[in-house]
Amino acid sequence: MGKEEIQQITRRTTRSFSSSSATGNEAVKTKISESYIPTLKDLVFGGNHLSYDDLLSSFPTRGVQISQIVHLLGPLNSPMLPIFIYGGASTGKTSIILQIFRHLNRPLVYASYRTCYSPCLFFESILNQLLLHKKNAVNGYSSSKRCEKPSDFVNLLRESLLSVIGDLKVNSGKLSSNKLPGQPNGSMVYLILDNLELVRNWDKSSTILPFMFSLYDILKMPEVGLIYISNTSPDTYYSNVGYVEPIPVYFPEYTEEDLRQIFLRNQENRKLYLSFLDVVLKPFCRVTRRVDELSTAFSSLFRKYCEPLNDLEHVSYEEMKRRLFSHFQPHIALSLNEIFQVPSWPPLEVESNKEKKRKSSIRKSGGCEDFAELDFHMSTSAKYLLISAFLASRNPATLDASLFDSTAGSDSHKRKRKASVKSLEQKEAAEQELLMKGPGTFPLERLLAIFQCISSVVEGPLDEENENDVLRFESGDSGFMSDVLMQLSSLCNANFIIKGGSCPLEGSTRYRSMITEDMALKVARSLKFPLPNYLYRR
Amino acid sequence: MGFQSQVEKAKNLLRTRLCNPNFIIKPLSDSPDSNYCKLKFTISSSITEACNNSILLVGPRGSGKIAVLELALNDLLQEYPDTISLIRLNGLLHSDENCAFKEIAKQLCLEHHLLFSKMGKQRLLYSLLDAMNTVTSQAVVIGVSCRLDVDQLLEKRIRSRFSHRKLLFLPPSKEDVQRLLEHVFSLPTDSSFPHDYAAQFNGKLQNLLADDRFKEIISSYLDLNSTINHLVRFLFIVVSLWESKSGFLSLENFKSALSSIQRQPKQECIKDCSILELYILVCMKRLEVKEQNSYNFNSVMKEYRSVHDSFQTSDYYAWDVCLRSFERLIQRELICFTDNRAHGQSVEFRPVKLLVSYVELQGGLKSYRSCPIILQKLMDH
Repeated sequence: MGKEEIQQITRRTTRSFSSSSATGNEAVKTKISESYIPTLKDLVFGGNHLSYDDLLSSFPTRGVQISQIVHLLGPLNSPMLPIFIYGGASTGKTSIILQIFRHLNRPLVYASYRTCYSPCLFFESILNQLLLHKKNAVNGYSSSKRCEKPSDFVNLLRESLLSVIGDLKVNSGKLSSNKLPGQPNGSMVYLILDNLELVRNWDKSSTILPFMFSLYDILKMPEVGLIYISNTSPDTYYSNVGYVEPIPVYFPEYTEEDLRQIFLRNQENRKLYLSFLDVVLKPFCRVTRRVDELSTAFSSLFRKYCEPLNDLEHVSYEEMKRRLFSHFQPHIALSLNEIFQVPSWPPLEVESNKEKKRKSSIRKSGGCEDFAELDFHMSTSAKYLLISAFLASRNPATLDASLFDSTAGSDSHKRKRKASVKSLEQKEAAEQELLMKGPGTFPLERLLAIFQCISSVVEGPLDEENENDVLRFESGDSGFMSDVLMQLSSLCNANFIIKGGSCPLEGSTRYRSMITEDMALKVARSLKFPLPNYLYRR
Repeated sequence: MGFQSQVEKAKNLLRTRLCNPNFIIKPLSDSPDSNYCKLKFTISSSITEACNNSILLVGPRGSGKIAVLELALNDLLQEYPDTISLIRLNGLLHSDENCAFKEIAKQLCLEHHLLFSKMGKQRLLYSLLDAMNTVTSQAVVIGVSCRLDVDQLLEKRIRSRFSHRKLLFLPPSKEDVQRLLEHVFSLPTDSSFPHDYAAQFNGKLQNLLADDRFKEIISSYLDLNSTINHLVRFLFIVVSLWESKSGFLSLENFKSALSSIQRQPKQECIKDCSILELYILVCMKRLEVKEQNSYNFNSVMKEYRSVHDSFQTSDYYAWDVCLRSFERLIQRELICFTDNRAHGQSVEFRPVKLLVSYVELQGGLKSYRSCPIILQKLMDH
């Protein structure tokens, strides 16, 4: 092997680092030399030994899949054909395969295409693990080998695999009589490639993806096992380059009974939680059966469920169940519609706030969002800009003159004509068009014109909330305009306004507002701006 | 040796055999008109007669082209130890021509310098074949491809220098398959294996191979995937399903292997969906049936609302919740966007379409546990 590739990537240093390196050298050096040096033991998943029964009990509903995988992996040092594990998100694929390897205590190399998002990163990550190379301050956090092309990767991979397998064989030969703890079993190395579905979106995916699949055929080493993990099924990977598909292992989504078993694990009060699950599991499973989504929803709901427990000390179990249920039931429908929401305040505060606001009835219709307030802060000028963008996207440009002259809101005084059948049909067609087309684009000048019109309407003292606002509404002030442009760019960064296509004639960029009508109404309400008067309705 | 350990040893042996392509290809290469013999004859004759030659091996993926090639090359390397040097190039690895040149130089242990700078496309092939005609050294170029029309893809000047020798790798015949099964599964009766167990195992194997139901399973598998590698994959699953408790392979192992390999991924995906996701799929199907050419999430929500209004379903959820389920369906690849991220519209305005057929959706609903009856009714209208 020639004089190769330990490239030192020159790194820029900060002034403080280069100055401190002169003085604190001794201390730094000793610290670095004490840093961890990986050995063959690090190729194993680690942790305490896990027996097969413990493995099955930690994944109570995946017995079939675990036994399928363990049988495909086979006994020690038995070659295997590549396997392909697939199933929906949050079904336990990655965690189960890693725990299986903890149980088997066999050496593995793990790479996920989510963290190794380019071929170069992927190749280097695998090689670093095999060469037992750790990125630390000594080597400047660089990889052991620089590798960009598949051909280089195959050669380097074969070399490093041969050396690791050789070491493993020596190890297993030595320790056949008494096993030292922590040493890996056997002399086969397993490669686990996770999140394979992301490779399809890479730049050169038409060559890289078949390469990943034919890695086993190219390597031709029976001491290497290959395991692919993907969110989507094997039929979404078809290409016209030849490779034989790996053996599929399917992880179905959990059923309701599975979820009940999973959620009952590690609960102190199983009876109470079981009664909670009986109430809550069925309706929520109609929306989603994913463990991560349900667990966040259930954790806050369980707290709510247990609220009246202090009062129910000395009642029978059945009575307690009934009372808890009657207290809890109105919340179910409400929380179903909020199941995917992430609360912006910590839950305890939400509780106290909600109690303050709600005086009497608990039950609200599903659209309670309409009456809620904007739950994040925006400066007043940003709010006006957002409303202007919404109006610009929503209304046709020809209407601006009539809407935004000095007699704003005069629309409402127009004579209401009787609605004929034709105009109703037109209205429906117009609504349909709005649904399909989405918000329109507008040039920057139109946005600024509308903004100036709207903000010049505001007179008088500002609200107490907005006292700290810097911006003052004086038209013709050039400082004002640059602030507005900065506000526009921050709104673009927040994806409230995006750059749409460019104008076909002039080539200038056009913008598009991305907020819903609900949010625009909320923003307008917080400014006490009569938005519905300005909305174009046919 | 205890019974369990005999079984384990047998399992290990079978797995090793199945993962070794050389072992698999042997019984198929024994007859004199097999591809192996033809290939070996061609190469050895060009070595002995000191002439140049080019051969093309074509056949569907997994039909054993590389295995036969390796087998032939191994034998030839033994017969003519010092006269052959081997260069292996792979289109997946060395897709760039500079890369290919470097690889050739590396495998020939030459210092690499760029030969043949800047010519047209396919210059590597052209220069190789050209060099064979002009230079005094001799080479045999063997091309392997899974496309049967690969010689049509070559440029004219290359095709003209090609000697049109093509070896076609056909799917194995029934006799070949039978021979392969015996070859793979028969335990050796020499001293490396406990004799009684091996004899018993082989006896049961013969019974199994003669069984009609067994032949039916194998032929129904081969109807779908007729190449050797696919068969090997199937046999590997059979061995992995072979429980250690029973000492011998049984018909049940083959049956369960067949069902585990014949999957219907879209049906499985539909069974994984939640009920709200099924509602969205059914609404999309109804929109497509109404011949709305393009529709987006907002149209689907409109349909969802009208379904709820006419049938008073109990499953009516907020817009946010439905949007999230909609995004889950996109992740599962049951539906997809029909535009290419044009103009950066947000999710609810982009046109979408179904990626499952109505028949698959219907089948999925039927096999769905506790599917609401309303959904089946909606599918029919």
